[in-house]
Amino acid sequence: MVLEKEIPVFVDWIGGASLDWVIAVAIFAVVAMAVSLLFAIVTRGPIRGVAGVGKAFLATFADVFTMSPRRIAALVWLAVKEAIRKKVVVGVAVFVVVLMLAGWFLDPSSTNPGRLYLSFVMTATSYLVLLLALFLSVFSLPGDMKSKTLHTVVTKPVRHSEIVLGRIIGFTLVCTVLLAIMGVLSYFFVVRGLYHEHTLTAADLAPAGGEASAGEAEVPLVGMTSKEHGHRHEVYVDPSGATRTRYENGHTHAVTIEGSGDQVRYRVGKPEGVLVARVPIHGKLRFRDIKGIDKEQGINVGDEWFYRSYIQGGTDAAAIWTFTDLKESDFPGDRIPLEMTLGVFRTHKGEITREVMGGLALRNPDTGLTVEIEIFESKEFITQKLWIPKQIVKYSNRQMIVQKYETPGGVKTKPTEADLDDSLAKKTEFDLFKDLVTPDGRVEVWLQCLEPGQHFGAAQPDLYLRAGDASVVWNFVKGYYGIWLQVVIVTSFGVMFSTFLSGAVAMVATIGILIAGFFTDHLMELGVGPKYGGGPLESFRRLIGQDNVMTDLPAGLGTDLVKMGDQLLQPTLRIMSAILPPFDEFGCANFVANGFNIPADFVLTRTFTALAFFIPLFVIGYLFLRNREVAR
Amino acid sequence: MQSEVIIETRSLTKVYRDFWGRQKVQALKALDLEIRRGEIFGLLGPNGSGKTTTMKLLLGLLFPTSGKALLFGRDATDVSKNERIGYLPEESYLYRFLNAEETLDFYGRLFNMSPKVRRQRVAHLINLVGLDLAKRRQLKEYSKGMTRRIGLAQALINDPELILLDEPTSGLDPIGTRNMKDLILDLRDQGKTIVMCSHLLADVQDVCDRIGILYQGELQELGRVDSLLEIQDVTEFRASGLSKEAEAEIRQVVEKHQGKLLGIGHPTSTLEELFLNIIAESEAHPGRRVRSGEGAGDGS
Repeated sequence: MVLEKEIPVFVDWIGGASLDWVIAVAIFAVVAMAVSLLFAIVTRGPIRGVAGVGKAFLATFADVFTMSPRRIAALVWLAVKEAIRKKVVVGVAVFVVVLMLAGWFLDPSSTNPGRLYLSFVMTATSYLVLLLALFLSVFSLPGDMKSKTLHTVVTKPVRHSEIVLGRIIGFTLVCTVLLAIMGVLSYFFVVRGLYHEHTLTAADLAPAGGEASAGEAEVPLVGMTSKEHGHRHEVYVDPSGATRTRYENGHTHAVTIEGSGDQVRYRVGKPEGVLVARVPIHGKLRFRDIKGIDKEQGINVGDEWFYRSYIQGGTDAAAIWTFTDLKESDFPGDRIPLEMTLGVFRTHKGEITREVMGGLALRNPDTGLTVEIEIFESKEFITQKLWIPKQIVKYSNRQMIVQKYETPGGVKTKPTEADLDDSLAKKTEFDLFKDLVTPDGRVEVWLQCLEPGQHFGAAQPDLYLRAGDASVVWNFVKGYYGIWLQVVIVTSFGVMFSTFLSGAVAMVATIGILIAGFFTDHLMELGVGPKYGGGPLESFRRLIGQDNVMTDLPAGLGTDLVKMGDQLLQPTLRIMSAILPPFDEFGCANFVANGFNIPADFVLTRTFTALAFFIPLFVIGYLFLRNREVAR
Repeated sequence: MQSEVIIETRSLTKVYRDFWGRQKVQALKALDLEIRRGEIFGLLGPNGSGKTTTMKLLLGLLFPTSGKALLFGRDATDVSKNERIGYLPEESYLYRFLNAEETLDFYGRLFNMSPKVRRQRVAHLINLVGLDLAKRRQLKEYSKGMTRRIGLAQALINDPELILLDEPTSGLDPIGTRNMKDLILDLRDQGKTIVMCSHLLADVQDVCDRIGILYQGELQELGRVDSLLEIQDVTEFRASGLSKEAEAEIRQVVEKHQGKLLGIGHPTSTLEELFLNIIAESEAHPGRRVRSGEGAGDGS
């Protein structure tokens, strides 16, 4: 799975994030106060202006703190009623139709049908629900003002804060119910879509290793199941009884045997492992260049996408993941599962009958003992599963390696060559946790490409230890919770805009925020100034003039103006990208579809991010509604 | 002794501006008004004279351009004043997808009433406005008259001290109008203060104690209905217990003065006449209070 941004650990993140938030809100509040003060002084004179703003400020506090749950509940109820009247149920109907149509087009025989199905349902759900949240939230208040029903409401002792909050909660509630319905429907759609059974008869099986000789009654049998969903499974039936099929398309089936002799019946069970929620343990990735010196990055093979960094084959270059806090008790069984997805870059076609070969080794970062554990054929685009045995017997390919790193005073090594205890590498039997993992639980996994002229590409999330699996259903729920958080933000924006804009304009504004929110990274890049091509105006100028990004623009007034414009625009873009909701970060479909557990840190950081938007949006919406003439 | 002032406006002015801040229309010019507890006050005026603007300013739906509107001594934009007022808008602006019970229950909840109190109030009000048979029907199925009645019921949900009625009788049939007027008088008898605006003069004449007539945003007339409508050059006598002789004597006196006995007492003109007179006069002399002080008791 591609994970372009590291998920911060919640406890480390919350402090800094809260501080940023407080600063941003404070700046916003100060600016808003200053503007309203200025406006009030201009329109009402200095003394009355200041007094008016002061009074309004106090009244705001009073309003927010005298909210009544009963009134909010009444307004929530009204919002729900309104949504029902607007026939939101149609949303569910559309969803069902989409699912039925999708049933024809989604191909269960593809190599990863789980990913296909899950990413489809989650994308469809989130678009539908977000659209619904948008429509409900932006048209409600303007509609009430136009039909003047709001007149009857605001002449009751309702606080304006309650009107805004009631709307946000009400519409969120409606979307929650719809989301829940769609979630349940999608879950069954996915499970049902991926369900298949194979048949296996005695005729499909043949004794392993050719004809059985007459004397041996019990030999293992080998064969293939019938073809369903575009694949067959190989089955190896041990004479002792129950077995399971080999993995194909990421899943397996249990096989039970009933009867014996001519009456034998093979029953192939349901697919297992189609849907998973892997809990990966990630290590910290660093690289080693061809001279064996540590580097932050590998080499660039010309990709515009900087996600993966490459190492050259047949050299000392390696990608090194350092895992920390490994405990033997966390890994029951006698081996540890390791999974990886690699990028491969070829400078020549190589041996065409097989893939590029790679090697995987473990190194103890304290002693420097390095033991090779696997030579493998790389498989692109597919997650490879390897096992690290806890007891390793190795007669070759074990050595002592020091870590070399550059310092201002020259290249240093760790441990120093003199400290190496060469006797360690003379052993042939190693215990993973005694010899290779340090007492504090650190171990390094070294990936090397073994073929000269070929390259392996790796990013930090590409290789991980699979500690175990979490509940698939629970992961699915967490995925939908991610959509729900987006709903909260969209609803808050919609209601906030609708307090001072007409419905259609509020909709455009909210859509604008949504789209910009999906590209906050890009905005930030433009704001900081990309490496090549300059800021937004300069890029645009180059686009129009068909100039390439590397050459300087011709000196002159035009270029000066463009550069000056960028100087002004870039801070604005930076601020914008910092305060826009990062919608792209909320998407959980990636996790669920690829079969990864959504980490608790992800859920927590996103929850607080959503909250951080909800609170100021609510206050802004309240202030706008309070300070506008409802009857205009 | 004067009773407590419920509504007070001090040179209340409203100017409508367009998006660019240019003045479009001066809807209300320096209105000074005092309405006391227990009164029925009628605001009169032709369309566009500023009645509804005044009402909205009193309710805080609009903000004054200058001047002040105070209700119960608090600023009109103060939410807490709403606890004590009831408002029937011009056309009952209610949620058409709710039924009568839901509507009243919803507004009751906005007053933070407990469920028990709400049930009692809702049942009582539905009965009061005579919608028992239609209480489960959605408001969109209601006739205009029924909508007015449910509108009135929601205005009374909190048993308000001050009731603002915008065109309370519009759209009602004669019986409905009569009931509405009776109800208004009933409410006054319960000690409530009522402000209504209307252009149906007969209704105003029937129920209002005092009226103010607005024309082009200015207050043209203010006073007690009975004294405003008094015709000063006609004398009306009404007496009982007079003998035939005494009556004959009075007739003789009247005849002696070339009068003709019509009845005895000060007869009243209709409000319609007064109204049209005022409009005609203020068109002839714009910007001047027409009968300022003359015969108008001005609340005393």
